[in-house]
Amino acid sequence: MSTNDIIAGSPLARRLDNYPVPDLSAGFVDRVLAAAEARAAPPPELRRTGGGGGRGWRLGRRLAIATFGFSAIASAAAATGMLDRLDIAVPSPDRVWASITGKQPEAAAPVLIAAQSADSPATAPAVFDGLIDTPEELNEAFRRIDDVRQGRIEARRERQDERIERAIERRRAAGLPVPSEEEQALQRQRINEVQAIRQQRADERIKARRDELERKVESGEALTREDIVRPLRDDQRAMDRREQMVRLRQMTPQQRRALIEEYRTRRSAPEAGAEASIPDSPAPDTVPVEESLPPQP
Amino acid sequence: MAARDPGALREAIVLYASTLQRIAFRMTGDAHEAEDLVQEAMLRLWDQAPKIAARHPVGSQAAAALRLGGWLNRVVTNLAIDRLRRARRMSAGEVPDSEDDAPRADALIEAGARDRSARALIAALPERQRAAIVLTYYEDLSNAAAADALDMNIKAFESLLLRARTALRKAYAAFGEGGAQ
Repeated sequence: MSTNDIIAGSPLARRLDNYPVPDLSAGFVDRVLAAAEARAAPPPELRRTGGGGGRGWRLGRRLAIATFGFSAIASAAAATGMLDRLDIAVPSPDRVWASITGKQPEAAAPVLIAAQSADSPATAPAVFDGLIDTPEELNEAFRRIDDVRQGRIEARRERQDERIERAIERRRAAGLPVPSEEEQALQRQRINEVQAIRQQRADERIKARRDELERKVESGEALTREDIVRPLRDDQRAMDRREQMVRLRQMTPQQRRALIEEYRTRRSAPEAGAEASIPDSPAPDTVPVEESLPPQP
Repeated sequence: MAARDPGALREAIVLYASTLQRIAFRMTGDAHEAEDLVQEAMLRLWDQAPKIAARHPVGSQAAAALRLGGWLNRVVTNLAIDRLRRARRMSAGEVPDSEDDAPRADALIEAGARDRSARALIAALPERQRAAIVLTYYEDLSNAAAADALDMNIKAFESLLLRARTALRKAYAAFGEGGAQ
């Protein structure tokens, strides 16, 4: 017994003990039984737990640990050159890039790639000679990307149909009402509408990106790997923020501390006015970072 | 019960309903509400029985460790806590930032210093502190069993119980130690 216990017989205990509980009302058992009989059977499990939910979680965790462990070992082996010594081929970034551009990594001569339409006289065969620097090469790259994208869209549609079918099956198995053909058609139409809107937004983003890439190529600029594989959803602000972070990491600790100190000063005295809030460079060699950059520890 | 036998449910009700009624009543302070909660707990047992049976096959170690009373205590305690929270939200009361950090005893007592019964003392506690007192003091559960009913680890529960007792003493002192019953 700890000193905090409520001691039996104490005034507090006597007060607490004076709390009688009423009995359950007459017919309670029958009411519960009637409610139980009237209750619909619970819907079947969404996923098979394999004899216990805990077991499923454990299995999932083991798989995750195994995957992570394998990745870590494989990375370590690749990094230390072990795979090379064992004569195991590892696709290098160059080869992956080559699989996108179609260029053979060690090929001395450029590889000829069929263009979109062989019948079109205006379209010359696209040749990737390393970097993408002609409109033909760029169009060919776009075409390949569209192929992959189309495949993904189709696969997503199939998955969606399967899920809808499974959901209806589950409801049917549970004895729950299932939507009629008309309702199903209406629901599918709504899903399609939402997806069309998403698709349209994605298309707009892709078009903006492609216009940008086309302008670069037209102005004689060769596109690098980063230009192509850059995440689509990165808007300009996100790119700027990333660059700021890179610059911040490249600073010396003293520069970084000075910048953070300035930021704190600015935060603590916002009433000083916008002009006064723009600090001078903390040190002569400090890389300027935009005002909106939050301090990072 | 997993075979949907109403007789088994009747047996379970006879065996456990009075304990559940005590917990629910002392948590809510309302006999009708308590009865509702007990009914809901028993119906959940009815719903979950096949799953529970599948996880605890007869003769297995899991079946030996299964304590249906403990499971029902947990269900009814959680239902009562949910009901109290919902009632508080419905009454436009402020939702605290943290559940148990600041005992609301003082505020409640000052706001409604009228009922000097044991019910008012218990009602002055936040939901989880109330559950800790009901389970350990009134139902005489061990700390481990009460922690299990509240789905907490034992250390966290002991801390909760300590705060609950302190809040209870404060409430008792605020009501006046010789207050009317």
